[in-house]
Amino acid sequence: MQEPLITVEALHRHYQLGGETVRALDGVSFSIDRGEFVAIVGQSGSGKSTLMNLVGCLDTPTSGTYRLNGADVAGLEDNQLADLRNKEIGFVFQTFQLLPRASALANVELPLVYRGLSRRERRARSEGALAAVGLGNRMHHKPNELSGGQRQRVAIARALVGEPSLLLADEPTGNLDSQTGEEIIRLFGDLHARGHTIILVTHEPRLAARCPRAIRLSDGRVVGDGPGSEIAALGAARAVLG
Amino acid sequence: MRSVRRAWVRGSAELSEGLRIALGNLVGAPLRSALTTLGIVIGVMTVIAIVAIVQGLNASFEAQISTLGANTLYVSKFAWIAQSRDLWWEMRNRKDLGRPELEAIERESIHAQAIAPMAMTRGEITRGDEQVSGVQLIGTNAQYLTTGGGSVAAGRFLAETDVDLSRTSVVLGSEVAERLFPGLGGEAILGRKVVLQGKPFTVVGTLARQGKLLGLNMDTRAILPYTTFLRDLGGKRSLSIAVSAAAEELPALEDELTGILRRVRRVPPEKKDDFSLNRQEAFLRLYEQLTGALYRVAIGVGAITLVVGGIGIMNIMLVSVTERTREIGVRRAIGARRATILLQFVVESSLVAALGGAVGTGLGLAVAQIVSLVSPLAAAATWSAVLLGVLFSGGVGLLFGLWPAWRASRLDPVEALRYE
Repeated sequence: MQEPLITVEALHRHYQLGGETVRALDGVSFSIDRGEFVAIVGQSGSGKSTLMNLVGCLDTPTSGTYRLNGADVAGLEDNQLADLRNKEIGFVFQTFQLLPRASALANVELPLVYRGLSRRERRARSEGALAAVGLGNRMHHKPNELSGGQRQRVAIARALVGEPSLLLADEPTGNLDSQTGEEIIRLFGDLHARGHTIILVTHEPRLAARCPRAIRLSDGRVVGDGPGSEIAALGAARAVLG
Repeated sequence: MRSVRRAWVRGSAELSEGLRIALGNLVGAPLRSALTTLGIVIGVMTVIAIVAIVQGLNASFEAQISTLGANTLYVSKFAWIAQSRDLWWEMRNRKDLGRPELEAIERESIHAQAIAPMAMTRGEITRGDEQVSGVQLIGTNAQYLTTGGGSVAAGRFLAETDVDLSRTSVVLGSEVAERLFPGLGGEAILGRKVVLQGKPFTVVGTLARQGKLLGLNMDTRAILPYTTFLRDLGGKRSLSIAVSAAAEELPALEDELTGILRRVRRVPPEKKDDFSLNRQEAFLRLYEQLTGALYRVAIGVGAITLVVGGIGIMNIMLVSVTERTREIGVRRAIGARRATILLQFVVESSLVAALGGAVGTGLGLAVAQIVSLVSPLAAAATWSAVLLGVLFSGGVGLLFGLWPAWRASRLDPVEALRYE
């Protein structure tokens, strides 16, 4: 029996805010296997951003355990977390977060710079990643010369280029029109089909419904974990019930 | 081995990435970069200009002073450099140096290679209607040129017989010769008569052009036998005596001369010397003290401007860190370590400052050139000064960039990504 890619147990993340303790995550447990495509869904304030930061190794939990690819993340130092993010996690952000003055190719190369690969290897891999997202002919364009959808594709290529264990996408369609958003979601579907593990963080039940599995958060706790369509319906029902 | 290689590749990749980013920001916002580094530009410009001028002065001073023999001791009533007014009065009241001292040195010194007495005054020389006043009249002997600088252009220098027979022979400095015999050059004036302080003299030679020494025109000299000088121009004058020796024997010569002079002048053992042994070096040392002070002032001023410039850089870098908070967040998210971020910002501030230093160096040299064109001050820049200017300002950029860069590196990635 293979160990799950992600194992989260009794995860807590508390903040001190004006003398009060905010329990952003209040005992979250789940596991995700390799090759899964999981939506984490919830309204703003549900704790999904906090969870994404923890899963993305940008933050460490107040208590609880988080095992990524067999390694316990909770006790790691800052440099080790940085290296882990570099190797294991590909981030895709809502606002793309590309470097404005660098070409698409240079943007995609950046994670490999931090990994210490030679210039030639960086170049070859980045060209491959851009081709894989359908931007083989836009490699030398700057972000402001690309459309929103193309920018997000560059960001996805940047996330993929280091061959991470996990793609972590935070509202990747939030800044796109519905048609472009649809293309991006379809791209994630393709990547999933090619074996990538993907976590999609979103507040939209409509997107969660299209994922094979969804985890619903509310007030820092898991309130639903199952096939995307069911969890999305649950959310809709809750919204109706108020 | 593999991990070492990887760390090296990573380090150099990060450094070149840092340089690329820094250059990108430099080109992307040229006005801002220029203003950022303006303080550095002005500071370095000031220092380089002053240093270039001082070095130019030094070079021309050393060239001038070398006409005083480097291996010559000048025995005199006066020390060339009087440390105080009291000392000057003490020296003024000393007994004159005269023939007894000269003859004692000539008789007894083992180390001396050349010995030339010098009696000096200012006077005028005439020939018909031509008249030159303010001529430095020097009474000496045949060894004068060996102890000091200068060479014969035409004719001959004083011979021993001129001195022994107290002849009325004179060797003219180049400017004196030109003004007394306008249009006549070289050999044509040999044997002609001139009138020196009312007495007729015969020109036996002329000296080559020499320029100025410490503001003293060396070409308005006229040189005659000291015996004639003492007889015709006043015997009460104190002599100074130039004594030269091989460089390694100068200390021995100094001891020897001190002994001879104390004995001849009957200085009791408990008293200090009532004469001075001067060397060219003393001038150099005094001069170095003066320019050293100037140097220190320049460096002080430069340091203050560089600090001000550094604070300007720090200010802009802090703004830049704030503006690029999200970029920092993204870089951290995709695997940049804290040290990587630190490096990136330090590289940027150093580069901007070093470029400012380079521009400042160029401007400083230009200022020095202009100064040397419009004034008698000569400017000379050395490569070390230029290199120092650039490196030093780069260092200032590094130092004052550290705090902003450190702040950037300490940003929490989560906060940085969320920053609006």
